[in-house]
Formats: sequence, C-alpha cells, structure tokens
Amino acid sequence: MGKYIVKRIMYILVVFLILSFLIFMIYNMLPVDKAAETARAEVQANKRLNYEERYEFWQKRYGTNGSKFERYLRWLGVYPYDDGTFNGLLQGNLGDSTQYGKPVIEMLGEPMKNTIIINIFSTILALGITIPLGIFCAVKRGSKRDVAVQVGTIVGYSLPTFIIAIVFIWLFAIVLGWFPVSGMSTAGSLTWSAWDRLWDRAYHLALPLIVMTFCSLGGMTRYVRASMIEALSMDCIRTARAKGLREKVVVYSHAWRNALIPIVTLVIGWFLGIFGGSLMIENIFALNGIGRVYYTALQMHDNEVVLALQMFYIIIALMGNLIIDLAYGFVDPRVRVNK
Amino acid sequence: MAKNQNTNQSASGNWFVRLMKTLGRWAKRMFFGGSKELTMDEKLAVEKLESPSKLAVKAFFRRKLATGALVVLVCMFLFVFIGPYFIPMDLNYTDPLQANIAPNYSMLKVPDELAANVRSIHGFSNFTVGVSGDNNFYLWGYTENALTKVDYGKIPDEVQPGKVEAAAAGSDHIIVITTDGKVVAWGNNSCGQYGVVKEGDPHRQIPDLLLNGTIDASKVDQLICGYQTTALVLDGELYMWGNTKACLNLNEMADNYNKNVQKVALSNYYAIVLFEDGTVSGGSALSFAMMSAVSSKNGNISNLKPYLEGKTVVDIAATNNCYALLLSDGDLVVFGAAEYGETELPAIPSGEKIVQVEGGTRHFICRTDANKAYAWGHNDAGQSNLNGEEAANIFAGPKQSYLIGEDNQLTKKIGMKGYIFGTDNRGRDTFTRIVHGGKMTMTVGAVAVIVSSLIAIIVGCLSGYFGGWVDMLLMRVTEIFSAIPFLPFAMLLSYVLQTKPISENMRIFMIMIILGLLSWTGLARMIRGQVLAEREKEFVIAAQSMGVKENRIAFKHILPNVISVILVSMTLDFATCLLTESSLSYLGFGVTQPQPTWGNMLDGANNSIVIQNYWWQWLFPAIFLAIATISINIIGDTLRDVLDPKSSQEK
Repeated sequence: MGKYIVKRIMYILVVFLILSFLIFMIYNMLPVDKAAETARAEVQANKRLNYEERYEFWQKRYGTNGSKFERYLRWLGVYPYDDGTFNGLLQGNLGDSTQYGKPVIEMLGEPMKNTIIINIFSTILALGITIPLGIFCAVKRGSKRDVAVQVGTIVGYSLPTFIIAIVFIWLFAIVLGWFPVSGMSTAGSLTWSAWDRLWDRAYHLALPLIVMTFCSLGGMTRYVRASMIEALSMDCIRTARAKGLREKVVVYSHAWRNALIPIVTLVIGWFLGIFGGSLMIENIFALNGIGRVYYTALQMHDNEVVLALQMFYIIIALMGNLIIDLAYGFVDPRVRVNK
Repeated sequence: MAKNQNTNQSASGNWFVRLMKTLGRWAKRMFFGGSKELTMDEKLAVEKLESPSKLAVKAFFRRKLATGALVVLVCMFLFVFIGPYFIPMDLNYTDPLQANIAPNYSMLKVPDELAANVRSIHGFSNFTVGVSGDNNFYLWGYTENALTKVDYGKIPDEVQPGKVEAAAAGSDHIIVITTDGKVVAWGNNSCGQYGVVKEGDPHRQIPDLLLNGTIDASKVDQLICGYQTTALVLDGELYMWGNTKACLNLNEMADNYNKNVQKVALSNYYAIVLFEDGTVSGGSALSFAMMSAVSSKNGNISNLKPYLEGKTVVDIAATNNCYALLLSDGDLVVFGAAEYGETELPAIPSGEKIVQVEGGTRHFICRTDANKAYAWGHNDAGQSNLNGEEAANIFAGPKQSYLIGEDNQLTKKIGMKGYIFGTDNRGRDTFTRIVHGGKMTMTVGAVAVIVSSLIAIIVGCLSGYFGGWVDMLLMRVTEIFSAIPFLPFAMLLSYVLQTKPISENMRIFMIMIILGLLSWTGLARMIRGQVLAEREKEFVIAAQSMGVKENRIAFKHILPNVISVILVSMTLDFATCLLTESSLSYLGFGVTQPQPTWGNMLDGANNSIVIQNYWWQWLFPAIFLAIATISINIIGDTLRDVLDPKSSQEK
C-alpha cells in the first residue's frame, strides 16, 4: 500500500509539472509585460530615467528576462533569478495581485475559508438528502414515487446552476422575501456581537447553500439509486433474503455496503469538483470565495492571481484523483491495491 | 491546374461519400439489422425473430415520455435551424425607446370605434393615442413601465368621452387638449413633460397659460410629443416644453421662432419649425448650411441651404434621426443621420406629386395627389411595406403606418404589432434572439460533442484494441486531460482568446473546439473498456485469421459493436455541452454580445432589478434551454435503458 501511494504521488507530481507548464505557456500568451509597465510608469514620473535601462532592471527583478522555459522554472522556484536567489512556487511566492496590491498568497486566505465552508456544508446537506432518497428509490424501484423522483432528478440535473439560482432568487428572495438577494453580510455588521455576526452570516449563506444543494440533488440521487440497484441484484442479496434476514438488514447492511464503493468515488470526486462548481454560485450571490476572486481577476486582468488559482484548481483535482484511488482500497477490501 | 483542382475536389468528395456511407451502414445495422438480403424462405424462418436493435427502437417508442421528448427536441431543432430564415435579425440593432417592454401584442390594436372615424393618431414609442371624429379619446399599445409599475393607460377623469380635441403621446407621457380648452397630461413628469418644474433642472416648464388657464381648443393647429418634450401650435404660435436635454434647441425655438408657425416636427435631438411663409428653421443648432441631403427630384444635394432658397416648403416630418421637407413642387428633401435607409426615397410614378409626409421613429410615409401612399426607411416590422396603396390621409405611429380612407375610416394598418416575448434592455426582440441564440447554442453544443466524440473514439479504440504501451500512453494523456478543472480552464482559454486579434466567428469556433477538447475523457475511458471486452470475442479472432489489418479490425469490426455506448454518451454529452456553453456565455467567457445565445441572453439577469421587474428577459431563454436539455437527457436515459440488454429485464 505504501509503495502504491508513493508511486501515485510521484505520478501526480509528473502530471502537475506537465499541466503547470502547459498553463504557464497559455498564460504567457497574454499580452502582459509587467517589467515594461513598471518601467513606463517610472519614466513617466521621472523623465530623466532611461526607459531601456529601467526596463532591463525590472525584467531582472521580476525574472521575466530569458526564455519562456527559464521563466517557468523561475516561477516554480528551481531556477535562480539574476541575483542568484530562488523565489517561486516552492518558496511560497505566487506573485502579486495588481488589483489588491499585495501578494496573492495573502489575499487568498479569507476567500479560501469561505469557499471551503460553503462546499462542506452543501456536501453534507446534499448527502443527507440524496443517500436516503436514492436508497428509497432503489428499493421501491418502478413504483409511482420512484418514477416521480426519477423525472424530478432529470429536471434537476438538466438545469444549469445559474437558472436554478435565478429562479430561487426570484422565488425566495424577491417574491417571498425570506433571504437576501446577494452578499456575505449586512452592511455595518462588523460592530455587532460575535453571535449576531454568525447569525447574519448564516442568514446570507442560506440561499446559496440551498441552491447548491438543490443543484447536486439530481445527479447524486440517480447515482446512489443506480449503484444501489446494482447492489440489490447481487447474488448475496438473494442468499440473505433466502436465509430469512429482515428486509432492513438486507438493504442497509448487505446491499448498502456494496453500493458504497461507487458512491465514495462520487462523493470525493464531486466534493473536489465543486470547488470549480461553486464559482458560479459565488458569482451570482456575490460571495467572497475563490471562484469570485478568480472571476474578478479574469475581468480585471489580474493575471498572476489567475495563474495561481488555476494551479490551485489543478492541484485540487489531482489530489482528488489520488484520494479516490486510495479510498477505493479502504472501502472495498476486494480491490485493495497490492501492486 | 484546373484539372488538378477538380480531382482534388472529387477525391475529397469521395472521402466524404465514403464516410457518410459508413455512418449510414452503421445506423442501418444498428436499427434494421444486417445488410444481407434474405430470401423469402429465410424471411419466413426469421419472421418471429427481431434484431436487438429493432427491439430497442420499438422499446424506445413504447415509452411515452421518451417519444414525447424526441418530438419536442425535433420541433426545437426545426424551430432554431429553420426559424432564422423566416425571422431575420439585425445583430447591431438597438433601440432604447423599445427597451424592457413586457410581452404584449397590442401595439396595432386600434379600437374599432376609432377605426370607423379617425381624426388623428399619434405615438412616439410603445403606445399610441388617437382622437376620433366625435371627439373621443383612444389609447392602445404597451402602456406600462415595468420598472416603476406606472400604467399610462389609466386615463384621468378629466378626459371625458366626446370632449377631446387633440391628443399626443411621448415616450412616457400623454398630453390631451379637451374641447373646453383644458390641457390634461399624465404619465411621467420627472423631466418636465408636464406640471411644475423644479428650480435648477434643465427642463422647460409648460407655459402658464396651458398649465392653469384654458385655451381656445378650436384654434389648435398641431399637438405633438417627442422624447420627453411636447410642442403645441396654437393659432400660429408655438409653445414647447419638456426636457431641454432631449430636444437640444427647445429653448431657442420656443423663445425666438414661435410666431407664424405652421407646423413643427420633433426628432430625438432637435425640433424643426415650418413657418407660414414656407420657410423652415431649426435654430442655430440645426443650421442647413453645408448640410447634405437627398432630394426625390435632384438626387444628392451637397448643401441644403442654397437649395432651399426661394422655394416654399409645404410639409415637414421627422424620424428619430432624420428630417423630411416637402417642397411646393412635390420635391421631397430628406436629411440627417440615416441608419435604416431613411434617405432611400421611393420611386414615385411620374404624374404623381407628393402632398403629405409623416415620420415614425425610423421610417417615413408620404402621400401623393393621386391619393397613393408610399413608405421607406426601417422595415423591421413591415411598417414600410407601402407602395401605392390608396389613402386619403396618412398617420405614422412609432413603428406603424396607418392609412385613412375618404370617409375618415382606417383602411390599412401595418407595422409592429408587439413583442410576444418582450424586449431586452437594448430594445431587441427576445423572441428573435431566442431563435437565433438557439441556433448558436445548438451549433456550439453539436460541434463540441462531435469534436469530443471523435477524439474519444480514436483514443478509446486505439487504447483498448492495441493495449500495451499505446494504452499506457493514451490513458496517461486521458488522465492529464481529466485532471483539468473544466470551468476555470475554459474561462482561462477564452480569456486568452479575448486578448487575441481574431474575428468573433473564429473565437466562437475556437470555443467549440475548446469545449470538445476538454470533455472527451469520460467517453474515451468507456469506449476503451467496451473495446477491451469485444476484443476477446470470436469474430475478432476470425477477422485476424483472415488477415484483416489491425486498424481495420479496430475501427470497422469492433467500433460498430460499441456504437450504442457512443450514441448514448453523445446524447448525454450534448446536453452537458449546451449547459457548459450557456454557463460560459452567462459568465461572459463564451459567445459574447451582440451575438445571442441562450446563455448570454441571461447575463443581464444577475441583478435583482432584472429578475424582479423584467421577468421575461430571463424566463423565456431559461425555459427554452431547460426544455432542450431536459428532452435530450430523457432521450439519452431511455436510449441507455433500451440499448442495454441487462436493464431491459427491468420491470
């Protein structure tokens, strides 16, 4: 097992290097030249300076001189700048945000926290609803209620997130007025007591969470139902029934264990997938999360933030793949990887 | 050289024909079984047996939901692919006066009582007012403001039947003069359209005489409204009031050019006045010197001022941007910023002389002394489809043309009837944009699916059939691609494309390719698994022993056996691609305005004002997108059920 994990991690490193190189090259297609911009601003402020000279100076400072490959290695932190220092990803430097005027790492803390909170809560909510519902549908397969849920789930996963969000905003925030339309907190809530602030935050996050949960209901319910049906048609279930076990034990102990394997894959993959998926929700509800930061960075041409977040998304996806592989082994002893 | 080209063409033609034949054969094999012709005896022998694919088709159509979804989807395809040929769209068209109109179809619904006896018809944007010969007031069209919820259709009590002398409608206000000489006004008055004007606002207040006193109603020569402005000609004297920013020469005209006035015409920016002596003025702001124009008799005129010298003008009219002057000899002169063909004057038959001209927002109508009507200018709603129709009098609505017969009866009304799905924030018809946007959305989705399926088929077949290092390599590539987070990466690529100097069409094409390139991994894995299973079967060994080439076995013998998997996956992927395209476009990183898609039609709907007040702007595109993806998903699910022999035992 240990050997396998090491092998997978090595492999993920290779994939990360390939992907990061690819994305760095795409990023380099953008018409930005930080050194030129700074040099131009300097020369404009002080006419006595020589543009060429200053340009060269800033190129060296920012490490944008040399070939693209050199720049990539510098960005990674394995190739020295002209003054011989290393300052890249490995040293924890992801560049500066032009929009906020501070290092990318510093400005990502708060949004990261928000995104993780939203995603964890919506995952818990979605699992709490879909697993019982999926099991119920699988057990009562073909009944009227099952068909109704099936049609409902098709509708659920056919609709894009933003349409569901718009309809929910219209219904719950505008017509009924239960929730705020968007935002993270009420203006001026900074002076409130901690408890009130928490309550205010929950009040603002309620509708986004409902929408996110609702969006994931369709696909997850179908998945749980399908794997449960598969499990229920196994021979061991027939044996269990034949030896007179109660139906509850058959369903929840025998079938559910078998159905769990694909579901675990789905849950982990999906949990990591929603880091990308919550991008939409964060933008619609103006929540200060990773997705919104990414979106505004693209809009404001804040390119180093874009690059850093793109890498973050890729790391998340790669970690997800690794965890899925390992979780398979933990959940299902039969496929425990022994290579 | 020519011959060479020819052979090239025929070679590529052959290639295409071969591809189509192969696809056709697969489809045939899939739905109707093998291609071998059976003799009568064999037919009888196998009559009871049906091929699995035939059974699948039957099972599909036995399911009512799936059949319904298929019908809906086919209808939708016809709607979006044939619709654009019948409903043309001007991509760059905008009209702020038509913005945010709710679904309605009442803009040409002239009340019957008015149609029997018309005295005047006047309108500026979305609603039109009319006065009948027996002094009754009528109002039709879209009379609401969706944002402020003000209904201009609520007629004040002062306006009583049989007591209305003249009426005119602006973009958001209505002015009525009763037979008692009272001026009644309602609607929006935030820009001095009527009532008292606040100190310091750039608005000109309605004259005191009209605000508080009464006038001799029988002496009203003309009453018209422009955009937030009104002009009244009373016994040769001009009164004008309203927003001076909406009519830039309002103060000048009302102060200095207000005597001996015969007629006034209001465009979106200026007023021009026709005096009783047959001269025309637009004040200092609209001088005719050095202004070019088009004359119906003399063609292009480089300088309007000397041209008009010594000539008598008998009628004037204005559209939003253009002005028409009718000279006493029947010569019609049009000038201004023509955007929609306002200066392309119609050919009047010789012997006829123009005697009257009227202007809508972007079109003109004229009448000749032979009582024939001609129209030209913008024709998006058919308002300019007049070429010699009989008319004793003519009126121009904003986007409508009304012809009046000898006995004051309305004989013909053409033009904008309304918008069944409303308009968006730039005044564009939502229905037209849904038709064209659907075409774009479907095309992007289809091309993306085809690209992704082609890649998946090639990778899956090669990887599954050859195994070994090919499999190893291709699967690693697949894993790398599947590790790319879809939405953020697509946004990044689209962002990079936006900074490149490429044409919009090229960008849309690149987006299709990007969507395809990022979504093939799942299907490739599935095909690989299927091919791995099929590879071990006897017919492959048979083909190998007959010496069939490996590529041929992979693509011609094994691939048709996994086509059902591909078909199901393509169907479901199509729905996914529609969703991703619309999500990208919604975020502004897909197809961008003014080119519509169902996704970017919704991008205005991300604030509560639009969601609450302009519900039609997001509801209709959302419904169309939802119906399309839901039907595709239902069809895909059913296909999977009926094509999978394992699940056919269900029930």
